[in-house]
Amino acid sequence: MSFIEIKNLNKSFGDQLVLKDIELSIDQKEVVALIGSSGSGKSTLLRCLNLLETPSAGQIIVDGQNITTENFNINHYRSQVGMIFQSFNLFNHLSVLENCMIGQKEVLKKSSKEAKETAISFLEKVGMSDFANASVKKLSGGQKQRVAIARALCMQPKILLLDEPTSALDPEMVGEVLEVIKNLAKEGLTMVIVTHEMSFARDVADRVVFMDQGVVCEEGDPQTMFTQPKHPRTQAFLSRVLR
Amino acid sequence: MTSRIPTDLLGGSWYIFQRYSPLFWYGVRNTLIISLTATVIGLFIGLLVASVKTSKISPKDSFFAKGVKKFFWLLSSIYIEGFRGTPMIVQAVFLYHGLRPYLQWTPLSAGIVIVSVNTGAYMAEIIRAGIQSIDDGQYEAARSLGMSTWTTNRKIIFPQAIRNAFPAIGNEFVVNIKDTSVLNVIGVTELYFQSASVAGIVFRFRDTFFVTAVIYLFLTFTITRILRVIELKMDSPAGFGLASSSMPNSFSFLKKKGGQS
Repeated sequence: MSFIEIKNLNKSFGDQLVLKDIELSIDQKEVVALIGSSGSGKSTLLRCLNLLETPSAGQIIVDGQNITTENFNINHYRSQVGMIFQSFNLFNHLSVLENCMIGQKEVLKKSSKEAKETAISFLEKVGMSDFANASVKKLSGGQKQRVAIARALCMQPKILLLDEPTSALDPEMVGEVLEVIKNLAKEGLTMVIVTHEMSFARDVADRVVFMDQGVVCEEGDPQTMFTQPKHPRTQAFLSRVLR
Repeated sequence: MTSRIPTDLLGGSWYIFQRYSPLFWYGVRNTLIISLTATVIGLFIGLLVASVKTSKISPKDSFFAKGVKKFFWLLSSIYIEGFRGTPMIVQAVFLYHGLRPYLQWTPLSAGIVIVSVNTGAYMAEIIRAGIQSIDDGQYEAARSLGMSTWTTNRKIIFPQAIRNAFPAIGNEFVVNIKDTSVLNVIGVTELYFQSASVAGIVFRFRDTFFVTAVIYLFLTFTITRILRVIELKMDSPAGFGLASSSMPNSFSFLKKKGGQS
């Protein structure tokens, strides 16, 4: 059995069905890229994985545990699943260092000293330790996203979910963030990435999943997906974005 | 004795102020005690009521939890509408006399409670607006780290909501300094009540209440300046901007333990 098993997942907002019978399994240490045009449901699928959206039907089983059951301990589960947002969502009233410490202190109940050490080490990893005491308001987009990654890593997650991590960045900032994510992929962290960066998906992903209108249209290894897509909708999408 | 008071406004006022300053200062003391305490208590009531009003009913909640949330939502709405929709002077008379048989409270403690509860209703709306001004992403980021709703509110949402609403919160304090004057109807010895007593002694209403007006103006003006300085300090790079440790200092009363990190 795979690390993450998504079975028959449905999600609707009101009358609108945005995810239809999603079946997907993800192995441990696998990097999966979700691609597709906007409105295809890829972000919703990602948000279902840490229950920011409650699935309407179906099951998600992570590490043998069904996370969609009624009495599931959501907060404990979320502390093991990192989430990177398109708009960074750093805590504006806290410094860079405090952003990386607050989860450790409030959720993992670590001491300030321990939390600080962990925070500094991950900030070093993303190249932001020089900014530890800076206000997050003063950072550039790329710097913010790197801090957001450090904040997620400080929780030492089993899975990292990235929701269009570079879409809100200026073109010259994209590289620094992708570099950090590539390094993480090499280290064997399980990652699910929603992205519009096709070349990045090809480089970093073990598997590419193409979604269209709420269904998984096609999946496969990046080489085959980008060179010989089978489904006509995948072909149409890729010919539009890979020009 | 009254014949010795100068007849002009400034001379008379100055004479009355000098002669009866202990009475005025006693009034100022009570006015400040009531308005400061009530603003702080009102802020906490506001936080509580605002978090009830802004809490969302999620589809995962049990039938019972949904019922409880709806009940408290309704209760909060009634509270806010009730206290914002009636004059505080009416609330003061009604609550003081209505609850006196059960509580045996003094006018001062009744005054603090009444102004607190009244302020709480206004604060709830101020804080609610402050909470709603915060991007949903802040909430989602906190929840995705595994924080509970309560921790998210306490550590992420409230500090930012209070910061955003600080000018309005400070304004409530200034309003309370003036509005505590209505408590004279239940015999609270605040500044207005004391002034009325002095006026009764010297029988010079114009001059006495000129003194009172100047004292009120002095209080509100000074406090407005102080609040402005605090606000600027929170915005400056050395204050709120650089690290949050300097922000909560302004709200040390909100923190359980001293400055962390």
